[in-house]
Amino acid sequence: MKLILTIAWRNILRHKGKSLVIGIILFTGAFLMTLGNGVISGMAAGVEKNIINGFMGDIVLISDAQKSDNILLNIMGTSIEPITTYRRIKEVLAGQSYVRRSLPVGKNLAMVLDENSATPGFAFLIGVDFAEYRKMFPDNFKVIEGGYPAPGERALMIPTFTRDEFYGFYNIWFLPAGGTLVKENLKKEALAEIKSLVVSTSVVMMGMTSGTNATNDIRFPVKGIVKYGALNQIFGHFCLVDIESYRECLGYFTASDMSAQVPKEEKKLLGMEGSDLDAMFGGEEIVVNGSKAAPKKFRTVPAAAGVKTAEDGVYNAVFVKLADGFPYKEALARLNSALSAGKTGVKAVPWNKAAGPMGSMALIIKTALFLFVTLLFCVAVIIIVNTLTMAAIERTPEIGMMRAVGARKSFIAGMFLGETAILSAIFGGSGIAAGIAAVNIIPLLKISTDNDMLQILYGGNFFNPLLSFSGVALTALQLLAVTVAAALYPMRVAGEITPLEAVSRD
Amino acid sequence: MPPVYQSLIGQETSGLRNLLMNIIEIKELKKDYPLGTTIVPALRGVDLAVAEGDFISIIGPSGSGKTTLLNVIGCIDSPTSGSVKVGGREITSLDDRQITDIRLNKIGFIFQTFNLIPVLDVLENVEFPLLLMKKSEAEARKRAEKLVEEVGLKEYAAHRPSELSGGQRQRVAIARALVTNPDIVLADEPTANLDSVTGASILELMRRMNELEKTTFIFSTHDANVLKYARRIVKIKDGVIEKEPAAA
Repeated sequence: MKLILTIAWRNILRHKGKSLVIGIILFTGAFLMTLGNGVISGMAAGVEKNIINGFMGDIVLISDAQKSDNILLNIMGTSIEPITTYRRIKEVLAGQSYVRRSLPVGKNLAMVLDENSATPGFAFLIGVDFAEYRKMFPDNFKVIEGGYPAPGERALMIPTFTRDEFYGFYNIWFLPAGGTLVKENLKKEALAEIKSLVVSTSVVMMGMTSGTNATNDIRFPVKGIVKYGALNQIFGHFCLVDIESYRECLGYFTASDMSAQVPKEEKKLLGMEGSDLDAMFGGEEIVVNGSKAAPKKFRTVPAAAGVKTAEDGVYNAVFVKLADGFPYKEALARLNSALSAGKTGVKAVPWNKAAGPMGSMALIIKTALFLFVTLLFCVAVIIIVNTLTMAAIERTPEIGMMRAVGARKSFIAGMFLGETAILSAIFGGSGIAAGIAAVNIIPLLKISTDNDMLQILYGGNFFNPLLSFSGVALTALQLLAVTVAAALYPMRVAGEITPLEAVSRD
Repeated sequence: MPPVYQSLIGQETSGLRNLLMNIIEIKELKKDYPLGTTIVPALRGVDLAVAEGDFISIIGPSGSGKTTLLNVIGCIDSPTSGSVKVGGREITSLDDRQITDIRLNKIGFIFQTFNLIPVLDVLENVEFPLLLMKKSEAEARKRAEKLVEEVGLKEYAAHRPSELSGGQRQRVAIARALVTNPDIVLADEPTANLDSVTGASILELMRRMNELEKTTFIFSTHDANVLKYARRIVKIKDGVIEKEPAAA
């Protein structure tokens, strides 16, 4: 072994040019592999931190009747099945020691109505009890305009992303009731036409469900404008609304009218449905640059009265956070078993399945990075194989002579493997070290992005790669694989050189 | 070498030669090389017996088959047909590993172009075969130092081949060929790339080593001046051994 390594090392020094080429490839490959693994780990950690801790928990409970596990970013118009058994679910969850906290939510699509726009827009609504929501996700967003709703208050919280989208679609800039324009929060285009800016403090929405025709057009007063601490471009698609208003909008039973759902016709008979749709748009003013223009009449939703308890009403999902460190799969299995035994009519699904494309996107990016690293492998292997094979052929007399004086094929093969291994250890090792350094330096640079895709890649708003010991070990293993793969063919070529070829070249 | 044997060497006395132990026995050796669609015969039926401790020169013009014969004897090339026994062992039926082991343990090579390992110094080049034999480093170093001293390169022990003259390189090759105490040393035109004085000194050295180490030497040449060093001369022409002339 010592002899092999001695010859290998001296051959490296003798063929400095070729060794440097291979070394640079190995360095670059190892560096990018380390960084890539760091990005993947950082993304996984970021996604876990931001989505699990800040948006939907570890596990999501959905109705057994729900066909697709994806409830968050489902195809428009596909409604989420209602859950009417939250009382029972709550009891089941209370009996699970590994469940840290849970939050029942309504989640569906709503049509955003505006009489000035021929084409209605859409918004995802998440109906919650705001007080419970803040307990579940205490610091996932900041209210940058307006404030938090008071308990039981009818309110809509619009994320900055959705407000920008609404502006692009309706040319209306939404403000919290009583709020004023905050220039630094204005979209660039809105700022450009601030003098003629149309503002509104409420949004009219019509719930969209495929199950009933009982949805209502509801005017939601804007209570606050929120900005998520991370993944604002993604989480910002979802407007938060109080659960009672949400239920009314979606035509679900509210706590105040809990019983079987009332068909639209019956609601009409009961006087529950507004008879004059136009009147819906006539109750509040649309303000142009602070001055009253084109005053219109709108009707606001009456404040909920006689609410028994919100927990008796309809939800669409329950977000569940697990106790720290509890095995995820075990929790999922035990929870499903308990939910089934409790005849709750719901099932537990992992967050990434419930998140639909958002969960898949993380996987897609992971796969893309993996493919990139694999491609890097292949290119590195091809170049190294080519260089080493050329070296083997050039050294035919030397290798043939070694064979002539009694060196076995395994010795020659070992010599080439030794050369590649030494180069890998020096240059690849340096590449890994440089990658580790880069992974530790990048977070200090505070590189941020507003791009959706990049936010998923970053695992948040900031590029924050993360490298664990296992990540470094994985890179070292990948480097070992490259080394062996790159040396295999040249080893074979060198091993096949016969002493006769050495003599013939004389 | 026993005087009685030395007196017999070089004489046309195959019967007597057979009385001694033959280290090499070749019968009806043929070797063909394909050249495109035609077959070029290099050896056309060679019979040769080499006694232990012999110092033989194979002579013949270029293309006569000298190198091919040495290559086959040295297990570097395989015969097309015929029988080749080295140390009593038929080599035509051996696999690559066995052939390699014979080359390592039984045969030493001296090439026309020296063929030293460029990244190893003189001492390391000489001890290289011993390390392949898994000898201990100390043992290998001791034996290599002895051989290097014997070939007169003690002062150059730490030099790389590129720092040596042609003659010095060939001395290293001789030391390397002898370091394993092989039964046979094969040298293919060992003086071809050397000037006459250096060539003569190399042959002197080989002969001295033959006497010192009791190793069988077979070297090829087409230089008539080197024949005087041989105890036995085997003349080959067109792939066939001619009647052996008397040695000098």
